[in-house]
Amino acid sequence: MHNTRFLTQEFEYFVPHTLSEALDLLFTYQDKRTKILAGGTDLLVKMKTLGIGVDYLININEISEIKNVELDKGLKIGAAVKLSQLEKMKAVKEEYPALYEGITSMAAIAIRNMATLVGNICNASPAGDTIPPLVVYGAKLRIVSKKGERVIPLEDFISGVGETILKRDELVSQVIIPEPYKDLGSAFCKKGRVKADIAKINLAVGIERDGDICRDCRIVLGSVFSKTLRAYKSEEILRGKVIKDDLIISAAKRAAEEIKPIDDVRSTAEYRNELARVMVEDTLHIAWERAGGKRW
Amino acid sequence: MSQLKIIGKPISRDDAWAKAKGELKYADDFSLPGMLYGKVLHSKYPAAKIISINTEKAKQFSGVRAVLTAGDVPHNETVTRFGQSSEVGKGFEGLYRVLADKKVRFMGEAIALLAADTEEIAEEAINLIEVEYEPLPGVFDPVEAMQPGAYLVGEVDSNIIAQFGCAQGDIERGFKEADIIIEDTYKVPFVDHAYLETESGIAWIDENSVINIRVGSQVIEHFRDVADVLGLPHNRVRYRGTMMGGGFGGKEDITVETYLALLTWKTKKPVRLVYSREESILCHSKRHPFIMHYKVGAKKDGKLVALEAELISDAGAYPYLSPWVNLYATVNAAGPYCIPHIKVNTYCVLTNNTFTSANRGFGAPQPNMAYESIMDELAHQLSINPLEIRRINCLTTGKALSTTGQTFKTYVALPEVAEKAWEALGNPTRIKDKYKKVGQGLAIGLMSYGRMTFLHDSSRCYVRLESDGSILIRSGIPDLGGGQVSILCQIVAEELGVPMSKINIYYSDTALTPLAGTTTATRQTYMSGNAALKAAREIKKRLIYKAAQMMNVHTDNLDIGEEKIIVKYKPSQYLPLIEAIKACNADGIELFCEAQFNGPFTMTPDLSNIRGMIFPDFTFGAQAVEIAVDIETGEVEVLKLVTCYDVGKAINPLSVEGQMEGGSIYGLGYALMEEVIIKDGVTLTPSFSEYIIPTSADVPEAKAILVESGGGLGPYGAKGIGEPACSIIAPAILNAIYNAVGVRIKSLPATPEKIIRTLKGQFN
Repeated sequence: MHNTRFLTQEFEYFVPHTLSEALDLLFTYQDKRTKILAGGTDLLVKMKTLGIGVDYLININEISEIKNVELDKGLKIGAAVKLSQLEKMKAVKEEYPALYEGITSMAAIAIRNMATLVGNICNASPAGDTIPPLVVYGAKLRIVSKKGERVIPLEDFISGVGETILKRDELVSQVIIPEPYKDLGSAFCKKGRVKADIAKINLAVGIERDGDICRDCRIVLGSVFSKTLRAYKSEEILRGKVIKDDLIISAAKRAAEEIKPIDDVRSTAEYRNELARVMVEDTLHIAWERAGGKRW
Repeated sequence: MSQLKIIGKPISRDDAWAKAKGELKYADDFSLPGMLYGKVLHSKYPAAKIISINTEKAKQFSGVRAVLTAGDVPHNETVTRFGQSSEVGKGFEGLYRVLADKKVRFMGEAIALLAADTEEIAEEAINLIEVEYEPLPGVFDPVEAMQPGAYLVGEVDSNIIAQFGCAQGDIERGFKEADIIIEDTYKVPFVDHAYLETESGIAWIDENSVINIRVGSQVIEHFRDVADVLGLPHNRVRYRGTMMGGGFGGKEDITVETYLALLTWKTKKPVRLVYSREESILCHSKRHPFIMHYKVGAKKDGKLVALEAELISDAGAYPYLSPWVNLYATVNAAGPYCIPHIKVNTYCVLTNNTFTSANRGFGAPQPNMAYESIMDELAHQLSINPLEIRRINCLTTGKALSTTGQTFKTYVALPEVAEKAWEALGNPTRIKDKYKKVGQGLAIGLMSYGRMTFLHDSSRCYVRLESDGSILIRSGIPDLGGGQVSILCQIVAEELGVPMSKINIYYSDTALTPLAGTTTATRQTYMSGNAALKAAREIKKRLIYKAAQMMNVHTDNLDIGEEKIIVKYKPSQYLPLIEAIKACNADGIELFCEAQFNGPFTMTPDLSNIRGMIFPDFTFGAQAVEIAVDIETGEVEVLKLVTCYDVGKAINPLSVEGQMEGGSIYGLGYALMEEVIIKDGVTLTPSFSEYIIPTSADVPEAKAILVESGGGLGPYGAKGIGEPACSIIAPAILNAIYNAVGVRIKSLPATPEKIIRTLKGQFN
């Protein structure tokens, strides 16, 4: 039986002060069991409960280069930026409401004071609350290593439950969120068992409005598949159309058909199918209104 | 009685600030030089034969000081005790086994103990103990376990460990007389106590070779059981209880104390042992799941004529307090209703699930969920409103409890509490959202306070008036966080006219404080409150006797208050208390007293047909709730929650309200979300990320209405409230769901998943 009271395993612990120092360490220990520690709210729990073995632990919280948020044509969020720091930013709340709602729906204040946005992404949980909003906003990740850097869309980053395309010597240094379209309406929705809980389903939608028409949209759901899922067919129903109530209803139905949920301790597949439809419908309405669209 | 000055006042408790500031020291906030760290090896299988245990590698691991298995325990098998002073017969006793021997009965059962220099070493070394198992099929469903030929959990020839029955009238005739008969089956799940403080403690051997155990326990009288396991005289084991971070019945059985005692006895060193949350959920007791088959018959006007109930409970792998819990369930099976024809049968069955035992309510909440659901259904089918059906049938003063025939001479606050709760709910809230349906629900109930009378329960308390007018109290009372300790101080302060600030109390020490009995069965205000009252009044009598001489006034004309002995008809004439104390001390008059209060004593009943007085008295209450159900998501939002109990007399209204509100929320979790899911003996909810309880963000404002009839057996007419407070809300919520959307959820918890499934089923 695992013990959540403390960490029993022995490991080497590093606290680099520059990014290049951190990348050197990652390069040096890429063949060992090396982990990056940001907030630790997932990693430490996994080390205790799943018995994840770690030989080298690299704490990136003292690296000043990745502790900032840059506000310049969008947002550039460093890997060591805490969730609570983001939820207090006016720009996040006003320009990216779905991200704000996703963050504030997570756990409790104490956890958000520790946890980071990049950590939530790299943890690659199908239920990660910040991932659907970030996909809606078309976020990209800056991935760095000793050999160089690459920027890839977040959508292409997660490959499965707890799995990403990150190479062993690489680190996600920054989340890049582009400036939103002027008439974008976005919203997040989550259902849990209690207020502070892992989602039964979470989702975010974004609608770009051009008059009465949906110029483009994204519908992204979590906790319904092995990774965050985009409801492409549902999006297709709305894209380029004049938005009306019945269209939203059919898009929501379609989204519920696209998901592939499972039975687990939190809920059942049967219920999730039902719930997804209701949540997508409600959230599309909110997003459309936020985009300046007409109410019915 | 003169006007009360401290009793009935909302007094902030002594321990409140220390708790709020995090200064209070709990059982494990303590260390000693040379202390070792204990660890328990738990079974990996729910049912298996133990082929061999090899402890060599663990023993040789550097820093390990002891490894113990069943063979090292002097008396590994004893009998579960309930602290009774009387002989209660075999019907209640069960095997208490310290460490698994030859066979494991549930996943998480203790197999070996280990003590090491550090917690890290203990954690690592425990995994070096090699256990060879031969998995056995096991049985996980109590109904299956009852059948002949079922897998045998224990070593005896049946899994049924207890059976109880109650009957009155002629059940067949009763149903023949009925105009309407309703029959249904209800289910309630395993739930966890979820106290903040997990099972923990520290033990050491003192200079007199006494094993001291500092532990959070509801029953410090277990020192006797621990001594029996070790084969020591009882006076060689001492419990030193601490303020506790919650008990809820989970610390009524022995938790880690035996392990601590064994490890310290073996190593001669202090040992600390603290359960992780996972251990607490996987290895210690749970609330009993019940399958309850009910059949009720009534006349067209709603008058009940017959009730038949069959209750089957899952005891898990060992008996612990299961027989007692099932006796409670049996007596509570017909609720607070007058029904001429009754038949109740209860079966308590072993399985290879985690063992079940006491949990706040102790067998009362389970049948309450069933009978209040079926009463609501009856009201619905007869088109009678929920309050009216209860008015027509409920117990009232002078009438007899249907199951046992016990009569109530004191005030029975029914239907008063139901009327008050229902009225306070007001008109249904209007919600604009077309998908949200509002519903209101009512439930009433009763629960005993004080232990079963055939246990011959007593409590003792010592009070001493110091020469400076301050007071010292000693009582064995454990405080679970409910304010049990503070209540005694308040009573003594009232009786001796001394402010609370001048009182100091020592509690929960089996060597130095008089034994006050268990903090279970909602008994402390009643039992220990009366013991404190008796001791204080004896001292008061002596003071007044002396003061009467000094003041030349008859004793009848004197009273104590505000540190004075006052002439009742002329309050300006008084003697300072300190003068009376001086005079008593000079005359050799004893200003201390140890008093014992005894509850009513009865004989052990016939378990196949329980009749007569089983409990000293009952507390009656009602809960009314208003909820909104989202018909698309099945989510239930509790909008209003009213709880109304006749508490007799609220000694400290703040504590009573705290119990009523806390109890409601405890029951709200039971109703809507809590379930320890055990599949084939494996717990799927081993931590708080899977096992969900309501947090402050999830609960509504709770309104507590206190009825103070003064009719209780406790001091100043107080009744007990701790357990009754959580026992009624679940069916109130279920009934409100029915009222809102017309679906009756018959198994707890009423999750959105169940509600949606039932709603869909109804339309298909």
